Formats: sequence, C-alpha cells, structure tokens
Amino acid sequence: MTVKDRQFNWIGKGVSRVDVDDKVRGRALYVDDLDIPGCWHGCVVRSPVAHGRLKGLKKDPSFDWSQVVVAGPEDIPGVNIMVMHDRSMPLLGHDEILYLGEPLAVVAAPTLQLAREAARRIRPEIEELPATLHLRDVVKQFKAGDSSWARLSAQTLVKGDVARGFADADFVVEGEYTAGHQEQLYIEPQGLVAIPQPDGGIFIQGSMQCPYYIVHELHEALNLPPEKLRVKQSAVGGAFGGKEDFPSMLAGYCALPALKSGHPVKIVYDRNQDILYTTKRHPVWTRYKTGVKKDGTITAIQVDYLLDGGAYLTVSDVVMYRGVLHSANGYRCENVYVNGMVCRTHTFPSGAFRGFGAPQAIWGLESHIDRMAEACGMPPHIFRLRNCLRQGDSTPTGQILASSVGSPAVLEKALEAARFENKLGLCTRGKSGVKSYYGIGLSFFPHGSGFTGDGESKINAIGAVELALLEDGRPGVNIRVSSTEMGQGALTALSQIAADAVGIDMARIRYPFADTALVPNSGPTVASRTTMVVGSTVFSAAMKLKQALSQFAKQEPGLSGPADFERVARAYLSKGLPPRFEHQFQLPADVHWDQKTFQGDAYPGYSWGCNIAEVEIDAATLEIKTPRVFACYDIGRVINPLLAKGQLEGGLTQALGYALMEKLGIKNGRFDADRMQTYVIPTALDAPAYDIRFVEFPYDHAEPGAKGVGEIPMDGLAPAIANAIEAATGLRMTDLPITPEKLFEEMKKS
Amino acid sequence: MSTSCESIEMAFPSTLSEALALQADERTRGRLISGGTDLMAQWESGVLAPPPRAISLQSLSELRGIHEFDASLQMEPGRPRPGSLPSISIGALTTHAELRSSPLIQQHLPALAAAAATVGGAQIQARGTLAGNVANASPAGDLIPSLLIANASVIVASMTGERQIPLANFYLGYRKIDLHPDEIIVRFVLKKCPEGSRESFRKLGPRAAQAISKIMCAYRARVQDGLVQCFHLALGSVAPTPIRLYDFETWIEGQTLSTALLDEAERKVASLVSPVADIRSTAEYRQWVAGRLVRGFLEELLGG
Ligand SMILES: Cc1cc2nc3c(=O)[nH]c(=O)nc-3n(C[C@H](O)[C@H](O)[C@H](O)COP(=O)(O)OP(=O)(O)OC[C@H]3O[C@@H](n4cnc5c(N)ncnc54)[C@H](O)[C@@H]3O)c2cc1C
Repeated sequence: MTVKDRQFNWIGKGVSRVDVDDKVRGRALYVDDLDIPGCWHGCVVRSPVAHGRLKGLKKDPSFDWSQVVVAGPEDIPGVNIMVMHDRSMPLLGHDEILYLGEPLAVVAAPTLQLAREAARRIRPEIEELPATLHLRDVVKQFKAGDSSWARLSAQTLVKGDVARGFADADFVVEGEYTAGHQEQLYIEPQGLVAIPQPDGGIFIQGSMQCPYYIVHELHEALNLPPEKLRVKQSAVGGAFGGKEDFPSMLAGYCALPALKSGHPVKIVYDRNQDILYTTKRHPVWTRYKTGVKKDGTITAIQVDYLLDGGAYLTVSDVVMYRGVLHSANGYRCENVYVNGMVCRTHTFPSGAFRGFGAPQAIWGLESHIDRMAEACGMPPHIFRLRNCLRQGDSTPTGQILASSVGSPAVLEKALEAARFENKLGLCTRGKSGVKSYYGIGLSFFPHGSGFTGDGESKINAIGAVELALLEDGRPGVNIRVSSTEMGQGALTALSQIAADAVGIDMARIRYPFADTALVPNSGPTVASRTTMVVGSTVFSAAMKLKQALSQFAKQEPGLSGPADFERVARAYLSKGLPPRFEHQFQLPADVHWDQKTFQGDAYPGYSWGCNIAEVEIDAATLEIKTPRVFACYDIGRVINPLLAKGQLEGGLTQALGYALMEKLGIKNGRFDADRMQTYVIPTALDAPAYDIRFVEFPYDHAEPGAKGVGEIPMDGLAPAIANAIEAATGLRMTDLPITPEKLFEEMKKS
Repeated sequence: MSTSCESIEMAFPSTLSEALALQADERTRGRLISGGTDLMAQWESGVLAPPPRAISLQSLSELRGIHEFDASLQMEPGRPRPGSLPSISIGALTTHAELRSSPLIQQHLPALAAAAATVGGAQIQARGTLAGNVANASPAGDLIPSLLIANASVIVASMTGERQIPLANFYLGYRKIDLHPDEIIVRFVLKKCPEGSRESFRKLGPRAAQAISKIMCAYRARVQDGLVQCFHLALGSVAPTPIRLYDFETWIEGQTLSTALLDEAERKVASLVSPVADIRSTAEYRQWVAGRLVRGFLEELLGG
C-alpha cells in the first residue's frame, strides 16, 4: 500500500490536544512547580562589559561566603568548553570576555535572595577592549572590501555560472535587505534544575527541546560518562528554538554548583534575565543581484547572506546553511551563487529560532522577487507562477523534486482564496489624497523539512513504542522518543499516529515526558522534523508492535479469530514477551548530500507555502494594519488540521511581530528592551483575520506522509507585508521591523 | 521571581480619616497604593525600590463615585440640584473600566471615556485607577490629556483639609507632582463638554492593546459656522509631562477653518512641540505626527 492510499481513523482528525486538561487546570508541572527537597537556587555572575580581558573576580570580604557556594572555571571537572559546533565557547568565561552577560561564575544558596545577593557581591575586574556591537558595522567593512572582521563560518552554493546569467539578462535587479534580533518570548522562561545523584552522576530536569543535546554538550565538561548524565523534560511552556541550544548552557550553570555543593540547584530566569541573557534570532544582511529577461525568465541569482552570530559560533554555521539553501530556492534558475557568512559581534551568541535562518533568507528573496517582477513589467503573482519550481525541477543544489511537490498548488489556491488579481487593482500606489493606503502582497516559498544536508542520516533517529499496562491496569502503548511536547502539539500528533498504526483508540496511547534514561535518541525537537521524521519512526515501530501482536494471536490457542487488542495484549504481556519495538529512520538509498560542494539532496523533503497579506496604512499617521492574511500550505499529510492551523496562526502572528513590531536595539552592549513592556509582540487584537488552507501532497518516503509545519509559518509573512506596503505606497521597505517611523523617514526622502 | 515585594508592610485603612491619620504621621506613613498596576510593575522591575510600608486605598468608599454638580455653587458633590450641572466629580479610585462604561462620562466627557478604553487590556482596566494614572505622572499617562482639556482640578485631602489644584499646575516636572507627603488625592472635578462643543481622543501605540503611547492627543472645541470659538488641545508623550498647547489654542481661536488653515495648523503644532526619542518612537515622527493628529481633528470639525 502506498502512503497516499492509506485509510486512517485518527490521523487527519482535528482532535483536541491530549494535554489540554492538564494545562487549563494548572496541573501540568513546569520546572518551577517541581517539589525538590533541599533545592538551592543558582544565580549567574556575568560580565558587565561586551569585550575585555578578565583580571579576576573580586569577592566582597564583608559578605559571609560560608553560606553559599561559588563555582568558577576551576570547579569544572572536565574541560571548560561547550561542544556545540566548533568547541570554542567556554562554559564559563575566562581570559578574553566576548559579550556582555557572559557567565563567569555561578553562585548557589539555599534561597534565591541570598544567591542574588552573593552574586552582586562578586565584582568582575575586566580590562575593557573595543567591541563590535552591530552587524551594520561589519557590513560596512565587508562592502568596503576590508576583510578584518571576524568570520565565524562561511559556505558558498554554486550552480551554473552567474556571470553568464547576467550576460543573458535584459535587466539586472539589485537590492539589500536587513533584519535585527528577534526574541522567542516563550511564556515560560528558561529554567532547569540539576540534582546530584548518589552514583556521582547528575540528573537535569526542566524546560527544554532537546534532552540528548544536553548530554552531548555537557558530558565532557562534567567529565561524566553520558549514561551518568540523565536528562528529563518537565512541562515546557513554549520554546520556538530558544530551548534548543541555550538549555545546554543553563544546565552547565546549574550542574557546577550542584556538584560542588551536593545540593540540587535550580535556576529559573525571570523575564528580564530571559530577554537579556538568552539566544535570539540572528540579525541578517542580504544583498541580491539578479538577472531577468523581458519575458520573465530568471537568468541569475547572486546572493550575499551574512548573519550576525554573536560572540561564539554555537549553532550558527547550520543556521547559515539553512539560510543559504533558502535564499535562492523556489524558482527555476540555472545560475545561482550564494555566499553565506557568519560574523562575530560582541553580543549574546545568536541561536535557534523558528525557521533557523530561512525566514531571514526568504525575507530578502521574496521582497526581491517583487522587484524582479516589476523590472520586467509583470504582476508579482504571474511572475511567481511563471518561475516557480514544479515537480521534476531541480533546486539550486541540484536536488530533483521528484514527488510531493505542493508547488504551484499552494500559489494557485492562495491566489484564488484571496481573489488576489481583483484586489491588485485596488492598491493605492501612485494615488494621492487618500485617507488610507491599501495594498496587497504575496510571498511564495519552500521550507526544507527535517535536518539540513546529511543531518538525518548522521543522527539516525530511533523511535520506540512499548506495550504496557497503563495506570488503569489495562494495556496500552507508551511512545518512547526524545522529542518534547513544548506547546506545539507533538504529544497529540504522535499519539494519533501511534493509535492508527496499532489500530487502537487514542485513549490507550501515552507519551510520557522525554527522559534519556528511558527513551532512544530520536533527535532534537527542531527543524520541523518531529511529526515527519520522528512520527514516521513511531508509525513504523507501532506497526511492528501490531505485527507482533497479530502473530502472537494467531499462534496462541484461544485467541484465534478476531481477537481484541486488550485480550491479546494482556496475554502477550503475561508471557513476558518483549514489549518494546523500535524503528530507525532511513532515507531512500538514492538520497545524497555532499557537504563540500553543497550539492545534492539538501533536505529529505519540502513543505510549500504561499502568504498573501492585505495592508491598510493610515495616511495621517502611517500606522500599518494587516486586516487579512491568506495562506495556503502543503505540509504533506495533515495529521491534525486543528493543531496544524493553530501552529500556522501562531507562527504567522510571530511573523507579523517580526515584520512590524519586534525590535531589540543594543545600547552599550546591552539589549535595550528587557521586558514585555518594551519588547513589543503582537496581541490578539493585532492579529489579522486568517484564512488558512491546505493542499496535501503526502511525503512518500516515510509514513504516514507528514512534512514539516513548525517553522514554515515564520517564513513568508514579512516579505508579503513589505510587498503589500509597496503596492500601497510605492515605498520599498527593506529593514525589519517596518514601523510607521521608518515609513515616515522613507516618505520624507521620496 | 523576585521576592522584593514580600517585605512591604501593608496597611488597609477602612475610612479616609484613618488613611489620612496614617499619612500624617511619619512613622506610619506609607506609599499609597490604589490598583497597584503601576507600583507592582515598578517594584518588581526595580524601577522603584519597594517601600517599607504601603497604604492600600481600596476600601475607601470616599474615593469612589461619579457625580454631576455645579462647582460655582460650592455645592457638595453627590447632592444633585435641579437645573444644569456643568461639572463632574470623579472619585480617585474610579477604574478605567468604570470610566469607559459610565453613561455620565460617555455623554459629558467622551474623550476621557475613549482614553480609558485604550488603557492596557481588560485586566488593567479593571484594576487601574484614575488617581493612579494621574499620580504616576508618566508623560504617557493616557487619561491625562482628556482631563486637561476638561480643565480638571485635583482635590487632595490631608488632616488639615482639602486643597484644589488645577491639573495643569499639578505637574511640576518629569514625574514630579504637587502632592505633599501627608496628602491623598480624593477626587477630580472636571468641566463637562458643553452643548455644541466636541471632543475626541486619539492614541498611537506600538500595537493595538497593552501599549504604552508613542503619542496621544485630546481636544475639545466649539466651532460655529467655521469659526473656531474655543479650542483646548492636550498632548502626551511629547514633553516631560502631558501638556496643554496654549500657544496653539490662542492662535487658532478666532480663525475660520479652511483647508489652508489645516496645513498651517499642522505645521504650527509641529513647531510647538519638541518631543524626544525613546524606545517606542523617534523625536521626528512624534513631532510630525502631532501635527497630523491635530490636522485630523480639524478635518473632523471641518467635515461637520
Ligand atoms: C500591563 C500594563 C498595561 C498598562 N497600560 C497602560 C496604558 O495603556 N495607558 C496608561 O496610561 N497606563 C497603563 N498602565 C499603567 C497603569 O495601569 C495606569 O497608569 C493605572 O491607571 C495606574 O493606576 P493604579 O491604581 O493601578 O496605580 P498604583 O500603581 O496603585 O499607583 C500609581 C501611583 O499613583 C500613586 N497613587 C495611587 N493612588 C493615589 C491617590 N489616591 N493619591 C495619591 N497618589 C496615589 C501611587 O502612590 C503611585 O505612585 C499599564 C500598566 C500595566 C501593568
């Protein structure tokens, strides 16, 4: 049976979230709710300057230090590094300090107040050095050909020959696009507790996306074999990538004083700390130079894609790879050259955030596509329909889109839903004397699902299911994966998948919190891979369980005939037969990726999206409203339409914030917004009326055929809005967020 | 979470005289707290150090109520008399939710009702008070411009009696008010928007709710046959305190509305304000948009 033809009972239904009751009634236990006897509180001592040389930490002699524990670099049992991608970042800063807020020591005390007081009594003595704080300063150097800026990583992508492409072009279109930091602003701030174990090991519990990352990152620093580093999630109140790489650092801050004091040590950030001292979305600068012919053919796409990695590389190389792969994708073009770079600034290391480099790339590309359309005198949707990749086409890395290609379907369906063509005529570009400017704009984009490049084949994700007697004494199935429920609905979606594979009621499925002592490594909860990749391992593992049960039933006297799950499972368990079934994710044998040449199958599959935004701009004040947003997505098989729409509406609203509101300045090395009053995200009243539709092109290499949905809502709204603003006012806005203040500046110029 | 607020000693007087007695004595005096929506946030974030003592005003019924009265008759609020009553008294503890839904306020002080409806969200509106908004003395206090155009006065009480201070004089500087340590704001008196006059309020914030103003603006005007007879204009977030733009008022009063006047008025307003840049907006935008907002008001008037 092919993926497309399967019939399902639970998959495809908009069942409500399995954890809704616990969350609504306040029963879900977040890390700060855990009752941990003898738990101490930790507080981090940080660098007050962005760049300098650490001379020492001065402890106030008038303070009673016997009541607290202070852990510094000398207390690190192993090496003072975070593994990350280049082993450059220390767990605790020493010698050269590279960002304001860099951790230098951790204080732990029986009360939070005392821990904070003690941390205040430690004064870092730092000889300050000149700091680079803004990406724009690096861009200036780069444009001037000055290569003295600190490059943390680089990657090019080459297809054909752009020089030839420009020679063939009738028009060469150029543009630059920028965006600043974006804060994830999950509801539950970062928080973890480290509990020393009798065997010398340590147990980390709390808010996280990737339990095995913490093991990987810390076992060298803590000098513990991985099995002595047990990591378990608690309820997670939102993450958006912010709890991908950062919790590994926080786990280190908790573990050091815990090991030194023998007490459990908890650190839960308050909102101010969380905004100031955690990872953010990478600021970006992109420069496009593209060639088009009069008939709309794209002859060349040349891109510089520069990310601000902050002080250390951490995961920025892979963020940049994803950016490079999305900065020229989605359209037919034989000549592509992308120059991807990550630079260092003396700011908090940038990290994972929904989309992981792709939204920054698509922000530039989809703004630029409108300019290209304009250059050859074509309406923006016609230009996209003419050039979009279709089944059988090849991407910039030479990946052939053999199947599951939701293009041009998403474009066609969204255009129709929005009645785009009719509304184009209403745009006020070039009209004067209107009370309110009106514009409509669109964007179109693929989003790579699952890890970039050979990531999936390197990690070899394993998912497991376990037949067990549940808390009511009756048989059911436990899902054992390291993917975390963090608000996105994995618990519900994977339960639906397991229920259908085994052929039982969803109520008999459990999905306990990921705990490295109990679950195989199904990989981190990132990259829009959970439903698609981990879901497929659960599906296959559950099919094996079903197989085993029906085999058993056939052979067992008394069970023959159409036996029910309960009877068979009970008998199976009572025989002591193996209850656990695993499956390892595997890509088809003909999938290849060459990291060196950056050619091949860049992603296991692609989701596709089209966003259409309508804007109204008050001519008196230049306030920008987005009354309606239409979106159509191909996310493969839609496992749960209710949750998928929830993800999309939430993600689109996050993208709306990126487009119109969210900004973090840097003053003296410090983010200038440190609370929800000053870091402004959209409220429900700012959210447009959403019209979200699906076209289903199931992924056919892994059942049940889902593709990614987590990140794609972040990708395309900013450029769709910018394009709509251009249609409304004639102003091409190229820096996010687009505020009335910036519109005013542009209007003054024009 | 910070534990800093836990150390505050709270008093809960049940009458105004009890509260005034507490405030009269340095040893029992405490920070006055009404809704606490400003104070709790300021204490929590460290903007203000938590005080040793705080006095909750929540139980003081003397600080509640909205009444019409005639100020010229020196009559006591709450005792209506027949005939026209040109003033309104509003208790210090009146919440934003009460202001926006009160028929008296809606009818006679529509700009104030509109301003209250833009404050924070439903929770803040249910809890935050008029006196808190005024005494917090933020240049971005959303209610203040609407009070200023209604020639509001602040009535403060102490053991020695009451004082009435025109609101325009109540602000002494950035976040400084004319309130003595032993005084409590008890109510406000305002002039109703007279028959034939109009008023309006407009706020620009960084988002549709839960927004601190980039700028806000209220006006009250009477225009007859195109002639501006009376014009009150107040703005917030363009100066260290919310301000009445008296120079503009005298300039426009007596002029006849026309399209040309709109252009001039827009420029005039911009020339009279010198806002600063902060995290919410730029000085240039604020200056420009101040003129635009006033122009919008005048267009409303011109349009009938
Ligand atoms: C999430 C949020 C959103 C907000 N949004 C807005 C907004 O949109 N617009 C806006 O203007 N404000 C806003 N605020 C600020 C605040 O809610 C308002 O200013 C509110 O009106 C304050 O009233 P309160 O009773 O809560 O003041 P409190 O916090 O109780 O007091 C504020 C100040 O007034 C003093 N005070 C209180 N009562 C008296 C009295 N009777 N006599 C003398 N002094 C007194 C206090 O000592 C203190 O200095 C917001 C606050 C929050 C937390």
